[in-house]
Amino acid sequence: MNLALTWRLLKGGGRRGMLGTWLTLGAVAVSTALLLFAIAANFAFQARADRGAWRNPVPASSGAVAIEASRYDFVRGRAISVVDLAALGKQAPAPPPGLPRFPRPGETWLSPALAELARQLPADQFAARYPHQAGVLGDEALIHPGELVAVVGRAPDDPAMTAARSEDWIVSQAPVRVASLAGAPSQDATNYQALAVVAGVLMVVPLLVFGGAAARLTVARRDQRLAALRLVGATPGQVVGMTVAEAVMVALAGALTGTVAYVLAAPLLARIEMQGGPWFAGDVFPPPWVFAAVLVAVPLLVGLSAVAGLRRVVVSPLGVAKRETPPALRAVRVVALLAALVMFPLLTRGAGVAIIGTALALVFLCVNLVGPWVVGLIGRITAGTARGPARLLAGRRLVDDPRSAWRTVSGVALTGFVAGFIGLLSPAVLDQPPAGPPQLRVLAPAGQVEQVARQARERLRESGLTATVKPDKSLVVATLGGAADDAALDRARTALAGLVPGRTPTTPSDDKRFGDQLLADVRVGTVVVLAVSFLVAIASSGITAMSSVLDRRQTYGLLRLAGTPLELLDRARRAETLIPLTVMGGGAILVGVFCAMPFMIGGMSTAGAVTLAGCVVVGFAGVIGAGALSRPLLRAVTADPAPRPD
Amino acid sequence: MNDVLVGRALVKRFGQTVALGGVDIAVRAGEAVAIMGPSGSGKSTLLHCLAGIMKPDAGEVHLLGQRIDTMGERKRSELRRTRFGFVFQFGQLLPELPAEENVALPLMLGGVPRSQAVRQAREWFGPLGLQTMETRRPGELSGGQAQRVAIARALVSRPAVVFADEPTGALDQRTGHDTMRLLVEATKHNGASLIVVTHDPNVAGWCDRTVEVRDGQLAGVRA
Repeated sequence: MNLALTWRLLKGGGRRGMLGTWLTLGAVAVSTALLLFAIAANFAFQARADRGAWRNPVPASSGAVAIEASRYDFVRGRAISVVDLAALGKQAPAPPPGLPRFPRPGETWLSPALAELARQLPADQFAARYPHQAGVLGDEALIHPGELVAVVGRAPDDPAMTAARSEDWIVSQAPVRVASLAGAPSQDATNYQALAVVAGVLMVVPLLVFGGAAARLTVARRDQRLAALRLVGATPGQVVGMTVAEAVMVALAGALTGTVAYVLAAPLLARIEMQGGPWFAGDVFPPPWVFAAVLVAVPLLVGLSAVAGLRRVVVSPLGVAKRETPPALRAVRVVALLAALVMFPLLTRGAGVAIIGTALALVFLCVNLVGPWVVGLIGRITAGTARGPARLLAGRRLVDDPRSAWRTVSGVALTGFVAGFIGLLSPAVLDQPPAGPPQLRVLAPAGQVEQVARQARERLRESGLTATVKPDKSLVVATLGGAADDAALDRARTALAGLVPGRTPTTPSDDKRFGDQLLADVRVGTVVVLAVSFLVAIASSGITAMSSVLDRRQTYGLLRLAGTPLELLDRARRAETLIPLTVMGGGAILVGVFCAMPFMIGGMSTAGAVTLAGCVVVGFAGVIGAGALSRPLLRAVTADPAPRPD
Repeated sequence: MNDVLVGRALVKRFGQTVALGGVDIAVRAGEAVAIMGPSGSGKSTLLHCLAGIMKPDAGEVHLLGQRIDTMGERKRSELRRTRFGFVFQFGQLLPELPAEENVALPLMLGGVPRSQAVRQAREWFGPLGLQTMETRRPGELSGGQAQRVAIARALVSRPAVVFADEPTGALDQRTGHDTMRLLVEATKHNGASLIVVTHDPNVAGWCDRTVEVRDGQLAGVRA
């Protein structure tokens, strides 16, 4: 019976009631879509890690069937992942993913993008490095679409399968005897997964706050009506039941809308480049159970939030109908934040990602807990020092309901925390092109430097390239003629391919590539997290601004009627948002910076400072803009000449 | 006669419904006029047109000889703030502000510094029987007390006319009686005119004159 009555009241809410319902629905939809994005990102990195695992061999203790080694090669400034495979027994072992059979000695298999490149470029620039192409690798072998991969079949006694390789695990893997080609996710992939977890936490917490705000928006609109229901004798259980039913109905519709929005946006999200390339469409779609879980969890969370918001009505039927001075919030909230801040460096020193993530979430939640208390304090100061009516009104409102004022700015303030945290963690990419003519360097085996240098000279001469080749300690350095372009460089790479078995001649920028790639990815990740946070924050402040206009329409209407200019009401509303935003946004940035300090690499970068400054500007502009959007609503609700409480 | 507020041939329509069908009314300085009539008779519309809240479709409204119905919204807002005071049935006090700041608000809106505005506001609490209520918030006041705070707020900027829409509608008979007495006395004491919209003959009984409105027309005047 409650459900039928709830549905009746939901439908009968009139235009304004429906507007509130739509706002809640929109807020839940945005939250759900972004929540799916945050979760999907983790599954996507997991999928990449799993697909790349076969290239990261696990040494066999017994029963080895093959030898696997890997290194990087380069063409046109792009990295190629080269995997050398040799079967040990007479019978070919099971092939790695994406290959129909185990490669025979001498043949090569290229990824589709690399095969295409091999067709486009003259053979002496690339294809000659990988003769005897037997076929094309399937997508199962690739970390991302368009990845450049070459699999080279070799005999077990091939020098490439016996020679030492670089000690740097990122650049190459020394030949390893393996029992299968299943492998294990590489250290690199695991690091990316860890970063995705941190990014997920940074995105999910504001989403939960936003979802909660949306739920309480439903209650804020309904509290008077529900108090009236209590007054006529509805039991607390009935009131809670009706509120939860309404909130859950709206939230379920919102969650479904959000899921559809995510599915529609997924192809666009798959274009975000990470680790050197975009994503397979399947990567950005988490498994169906995730969708199901989100569709259950989101309405459930919204329902719980609604119950929490209803406590006051249920405890006392007069709690909402009669406006009284609310009890001041306790300063113990500040103690909680301070305790969390003191514990943070201790907890996270040398700790695993799970602990860092939890500690980060804890500080984040503490900032959220302290927010309303600080807003109340600011309100008292603002009201105490106000000279004009706008600041007085703003200050008194902040004191009256610090939680709702905090809801308006919490998103942006918490994004300040994110910006402060990752602003420090995104050092500038040192992307200066190397000066002078291109150089290729390769490490020669001990005692063979002169011999390798001689061979290099011959090979380059035979290819018609002008180059000076000189030994430099254990390195052989080939400096190409001054006018050398990309084509000449790739000809030189091709000429020098296999000069030292298992080693790739590289330029100084090739050597820097992986560090640069990681930093570039951190930068993309930062931008994505900030974009999501800001989207949430601005949508959240827009929705709360509108709901606050709806909640106070009677007061606003009467003030206008008594001759208060609309600008003054607007000024008071702005002050009510911007004063706490300035204090709390600034405070949250500082807390974020503090939390980032244990993980800082070097000093604060210019890019980080610019990101941070950009965030402050976008945040303020966004909140002011979102607030301005509700101005027509303010005009509309105050245009009613005889406002009556409904 | 020294008419303060004059409405001539006022017409107001809402779609097909004619709320006012050419009403003439004049209110003298210091006079208390009750506008009576059943629900939907157009009495509130008449008050809204006279107070510059609504523009009539036809007719004129003059305050102290100055035509106000042709003014823009900004001018009319200023007029309502400076020359008019309002008392409504309920909900007119800002729940966030203590009583004294609610009363001081019109002065502050007019540019009076806060400390001075609050000082002036406090002077109204004694005469209206609101001693010690200055710092209470509306939620902590009884219905009658809240209505007296609203009267103080309507009078604090020394308006020419006070408009009251069912000012005792939410009060019991005795409190309503006391509130009306205070409203009429305080308004007269300040030399302001009073226009009260009501359907209660007891309330109208406090006024010098009663104007009956029926179906958007003046149906009669009782002294």
